[in-house]
Amino acid sequence: MRKLILTTFIILVVMSVFVTGVMAQEQGGTLVFGRGGDTVGLDPIQVTDGESFKVTQQIYDTLVDYTPGTTEVEPALATDWEVSEDGLTWTFNLREGVKFHDGNPFNAEAVKWNFDRWRLEDHPYHIGGEFTYYGYMFQGFPGIIQEVNVVDEYTVEFVLSEKQAPFLNNLAMVPFGIASPEAVKEYGENYFKHPVGTGAYTLEEWRQGDRVILKANENYWRERAYLDEIVFRSIPDNSARFMELQSGTIDMMDGVSPEDVEAVKSSDGLKLSLRPSMNVGYFAMNFKFEPFDDVRVRRAFNHAIDKQAIIDAFYAGLAEPAKNPMPPSIWGYNDNIEPYEYDPEKAKELLAEAGYEDGFEFDLWYLPVPRPYIPQGKFIGQAIQSYLSEIGVTANLVTYDWSTYLDKTEHQEAPTYMLGWTGDNGDPDNFLYVLLDKTNSNNAYESEELHEVLVEAQKTMDQDRRVELYMEAQEIIHKDAPWVPLVHSTPPIALKSNVENYVPNPTGTEKLHRVWLEE
Amino acid sequence: MSDSKKNKVMKKNTNPWFEAWRRLLQSKIGIAGLGIIIFLILVAVLAPVLAPYNPFEQNILARYKAPSSEHLLGTDEMGRDILSRIIYGSRISLQVGLVSVSLALVFGVGFGLLAGYYGGKIDMVIMRFMDIMLAFPSILLAIGIVAILGPQLKNAMLAIGIINVPRFARIVRSSVLSIKESEYISAAKALGAGDLRIVFKHLLPNAMAPLIVQTTLSIATAILEAAALSFLGLGAQPPSPEWGAMLSDARSSLQRAPWVATFPGLAIIFGVLGFNLLGDGLRDALDPKMKNV
Repeated sequence: MRKLILTTFIILVVMSVFVTGVMAQEQGGTLVFGRGGDTVGLDPIQVTDGESFKVTQQIYDTLVDYTPGTTEVEPALATDWEVSEDGLTWTFNLREGVKFHDGNPFNAEAVKWNFDRWRLEDHPYHIGGEFTYYGYMFQGFPGIIQEVNVVDEYTVEFVLSEKQAPFLNNLAMVPFGIASPEAVKEYGENYFKHPVGTGAYTLEEWRQGDRVILKANENYWRERAYLDEIVFRSIPDNSARFMELQSGTIDMMDGVSPEDVEAVKSSDGLKLSLRPSMNVGYFAMNFKFEPFDDVRVRRAFNHAIDKQAIIDAFYAGLAEPAKNPMPPSIWGYNDNIEPYEYDPEKAKELLAEAGYEDGFEFDLWYLPVPRPYIPQGKFIGQAIQSYLSEIGVTANLVTYDWSTYLDKTEHQEAPTYMLGWTGDNGDPDNFLYVLLDKTNSNNAYESEELHEVLVEAQKTMDQDRRVELYMEAQEIIHKDAPWVPLVHSTPPIALKSNVENYVPNPTGTEKLHRVWLEE
Repeated sequence: MSDSKKNKVMKKNTNPWFEAWRRLLQSKIGIAGLGIIIFLILVAVLAPVLAPYNPFEQNILARYKAPSSEHLLGTDEMGRDILSRIIYGSRISLQVGLVSVSLALVFGVGFGLLAGYYGGKIDMVIMRFMDIMLAFPSILLAIGIVAILGPQLKNAMLAIGIINVPRFARIVRSSVLSIKESEYISAAKALGAGDLRIVFKHLLPNAMAPLIVQTTLSIATAILEAAALSFLGLGAQPPSPEWGAMLSDARSSLQRAPWVATFPGLAIIFGVLGFNLLGDGLRDALDPKMKNV
């Protein structure tokens, strides 16, 4: 008898362990994500920063999405689509039975309402911001999307005024998450604090400057998220954030200092995840300021900086030297470009040729905040300063707070500056046109030749021809040397070892609904 | 005892400054402070001789090297020799201390004399303005001033000078007030002495003792405030080897390379301690109540 009781007991214990074990692998728990800054707003079309997208990505879905870890497009709110012969009419079939968090149905009307709100400046709810990303991607307001038509309840049609090759890739971008029209109408200007989408998580609470708390959406159209709750905490200082990870008060963090990468690798409770590289960190020279209007000076600078040494020192080796403004992970990358090799003697010769053998003095703006492409702006700025002093030019280091820095560089006020870019959609257009076309460049680089190539590439649907055009564009840029392209980094993310199934996207943000916590 | 010798002893006892100096040398605290400051000054003056390396020379492939015989205090985040940087940093800290406190001294004494001697509306305006400045936490005021002028070391010095003006003004004003009505001042006036003569011959010397103490202590706080401003990125700009800035850049490597933060921190403590000890020693030495003890 006793034996039987004991056996039963043992079986029960084993079973309960097994059952809870399985449960813990799948469902429940709270994930605390530590990051460098707070969200700016939760209306994705109104923001441009990664810290906002990180959160809106969980709350909203887009018509199409990127397959996790890549920039391949896959169905999301749209199940399938077709494009007309002339490339101007796109028809999307929408997923049926999807509901917004507020219970309203998702349908073609909602899609049309969202696009009309973004693109029409006289729309009553074209308020609350500048709809920046819409203007970027679709060339202004109303831009190239001429009409959005409701064909039937679950079919919507887009009519474009001109062909746009990366149209589908653009639609998959986080800013184009579909919001509940009723919620936007209800909250108006304050909608950015009351986001309502169709995503895997709903907003529970946003304590500005501190944390955003999300709760799982029980009626998600995909499988319900594994995690019950996600907390995004802002901890601006990299090392403070890392200490929190080590002490266990946060479960994962991005913006790991290169100094700490070794510590993550060697500690038992932590692991490292690498975001696929799709960015560029660069040092730009402004054509408006003498002597940077002289291509020989710009080439001299390109020869003066030892990128590999900078990578070994400040990226824990997690980067590769850049020779083009776009990373090799993007199609159309021109690998035939011969990089300006590190050669201070040649740099001096070029400077002498340009008439600056005695050097000159200028302001070098360094990044005030850690970014994935340039994790330690101040240190890398000092390294560049020291390399330039070797060829006889004097750089004075200058910086501003982050928003002022961005604003001033955008207005072409910086003689030379460090900056970078993380790709949004995996298309070369998203690097070359956005950063270096004469309509967009921050350093007064205004090449007609480049502009023509880039615009033609936008309107070409034939992939082979587009590759050719972008190859050519990179040659023009290399020849003009408007930047010193520094690195393409592979940003590290540190996680507790029980955080499972986290797949970082090259675009810089990702959905977390497939992440779960092991006991 | 011959007459001449007697005279000398008499003379020695009557000069109050000499008396104070003698008492300072008797206090252990004062000696320690003086010793530290003399050491700092020597280090600053002899920096090019003492520093084993160029403080700006980088070697980014030899970052965060631990202290060794090659680099006695190790290397920092840019592979620069920390010892050499601290040695050169002493120049900046002393400079900040002297420049900003001189600034505060000149304006503080000026305002204090004006307010105390003339009284009335002038006193009212000046001292209310000083009260307003004192109402702000001093570092906050300094941050505000630097934010307006732009983050540079010279602006930080200016800001620290400005925030210290009220302290000097108050000290001078109160000591002027306490003796302005005394009989020897009235006598001087009766003899036809002008305002300037009275102020500089009779009033200011009486405020000297507290002023000297306050000056010494202010240099200590000025060094600390400059380090704080630089730590916040508002003072010395890279690659300047200012101690506070060095500390700030060492934050990201606190765990991996603690020496990068430790030594500049110790240098700040050392410098501040020196001036504080001297200040304490001087306070005792200059206190009239301590006479002939």
